[in-house]
Amino acid sequence: MESLINIRRLTKAFGDFIAVDSIDLSIREGEFLTLLGSSGSGKTTTLRLIAGLDPPTSGNIVYRGKDISALPTRLRDMRLVFQDYALFPHLNVFDNIAFGLRVRVTRHKYDEGRVNELVSKYLEFVHLGGQDQKMPHQLSGGQKQRVALARALVSDPPVVLFDEPLGSLDASLRKAMQFELKRMHRELRKTFIYVTHDQEEAMAMSDRIVVMKDAKILQVDTPEALYYEPTSTAVARFVGAANVVTGRVVRSDASETVVAVADGQLAAPGRAAAWKAGEEVAIVLRAESIGLTSAQDVAVRNAISGVVVGRLFLGKAIEYQVELADRHNTLTVTSSREDSVYEVGSRVAVVPKRNAVRILSA
Amino acid sequence: MTVRTSSRGGLILWLAPPLLWFTVFMLVPYAMLFYYSLGSVEYMTFKPGFSFANLGRVLTSAPYLAVLLKSLKLGVITAVGATLAGFPVAFCLAFHSTSRTVRSFVYFLVIIPWWASYLVKAYAWKTILGSNGLINSLLMSLHLIDEPLTFFLYNQFSVALTLIYIFTPFAILSIYAQLERIPTNVIEGAKNLGATDFEVFRRVIVPLSLPGVVAGAVITFSLSFGDFVAPALVGGPDAVMISNIVVNLLGVAFDWPMAAAIGIVVIAFAMTLISAAQYLEHKTAVRF
Repeated sequence: MESLINIRRLTKAFGDFIAVDSIDLSIREGEFLTLLGSSGSGKTTTLRLIAGLDPPTSGNIVYRGKDISALPTRLRDMRLVFQDYALFPHLNVFDNIAFGLRVRVTRHKYDEGRVNELVSKYLEFVHLGGQDQKMPHQLSGGQKQRVALARALVSDPPVVLFDEPLGSLDASLRKAMQFELKRMHRELRKTFIYVTHDQEEAMAMSDRIVVMKDAKILQVDTPEALYYEPTSTAVARFVGAANVVTGRVVRSDASETVVAVADGQLAAPGRAAAWKAGEEVAIVLRAESIGLTSAQDVAVRNAISGVVVGRLFLGKAIEYQVELADRHNTLTVTSSREDSVYEVGSRVAVVPKRNAVRILSA
Repeated sequence: MTVRTSSRGGLILWLAPPLLWFTVFMLVPYAMLFYYSLGSVEYMTFKPGFSFANLGRVLTSAPYLAVLLKSLKLGVITAVGATLAGFPVAFCLAFHSTSRTVRSFVYFLVIIPWWASYLVKAYAWKTILGSNGLINSLLMSLHLIDEPLTFFLYNQFSVALTLIYIFTPFAILSIYAQLERIPTNVIEGAKNLGATDFEVFRRVIVPLSLPGVVAGAVITFSLSFGDFVAPALVGGPDAVMISNIVVNLLGVAFDWPMAAAIGIVVIAFAMTLISAAQYLEHKTAVRF
């Protein structure tokens, strides 16, 4: 796929504080790309740099082969949906949406008849038909969000940017809007660049996710790849319900790597990246890909023993907290209801399912 | 029920100071003003009465009406002038002061004149506009004129200028308070949607600043409409304002009833205008 936006060594500093630290990123035309990270990771700053709301300290943003780093935001082909909507409080819904069609850069393209037609079309598109005369303060949060969306989409920008747009909506509305945004992305075939700190939201919506931490990019990958093949413990911790425990390599060859963890051993299929015996490594175990058996089975290879210290009933599953024999690591294990149920205090063996063990450098 | 009684007692305690203040400084003076306006004067002494003749005279005699209209005109000129002068300052304070130090400094400059006496500030314009004043001295030393120009001082122009100078800070602070409420992302949103800086100003900042502009105009109008220091110091016979008439009636002519009647009319006038402006303020109010 052709890359639409190329970001090269992009840096933004506010005084001594480096908000974005020399990142490189290629954004493909038509994809739903999410910048994911906790607050202070630099994701919103990156989005603002792409939008042209802040000038970069150094580095370039290249759009369709043209360096737009110094281009003012009004001349970029990108519309931003703000976190708290940023609607014009003195304009009604219609005029809010029409704003971008009536300013100088777009005026020659749209006479008032065309403005009417387009605003009506997008009012329908975001399910706000008949609300066009209302003032922003008369709208609910979800409706304001839809106005903000329509306002960004109405001038048909190739790229739409979203800064945590669902952040201030309640859980059920959030879910509905997630589906809505996916539908819009599918129907409009535009490039969506989305910022969120919610990993579930990122997983559910994105074609690719950019995981950011401390002003840097940790990993750029599809949701599946991030989930099953995180390249760092930070990504594993952030993206999935993953356990990260430390262990020591017993042996490593082309067929498999065996790591000693607590009182047991875990094995992972061999990889090109071989480990040295005795090396300390991190092991990623996703909560739903480990099983529990009774303690007698600990002798089994590829198992470690532990004690159930907590149990939560989640409806379709049960979540256990299992403390390992080294009394240092605690694992979260999700088990389906068909499996045997263990009481708090019972000794169990933790057995990872096939290919569930992922070894990373500590 | 004891709780309720004690809370009611508390309420009275809370309300007592403002009620007392309002009664002593607002209601009583207004009542006295009204009382005086109904009386008459005989041999330089006040004689109580119950006649609306004084009020009638204010509203029917041409000289009084002319001065009232002139005060109104100067009040409007001051309000407009202070708004035009104050808006750019408020705008810079709100949006263009890049550092906090610069902002505090400009804010400081706006506040400073309030530390100086009103009289001194009005008098200062005398020394700027007068025959031996700054402007004339400068023009003479540049040999642009041979003798001092006299049309700077002792007319409506000098009064309006002085009033605008003195009351502009009120307009600045009132407009600034409103501009500061405009969320940054609303302005960024407008720019992102394609608006130039001028379009942001015209389509977003100006409409959102209107309540502050109206409030500032009301304050500066009310203050200048009833002013008597500026016309007394820098105004000539052409720039007598209604308060100067009142001062003369009180101090020179000892015609307190007439002075009180003018006071009543001025207050009624100002109240009407302020109510109209408040309606306008309400109409332009923006809910963020």
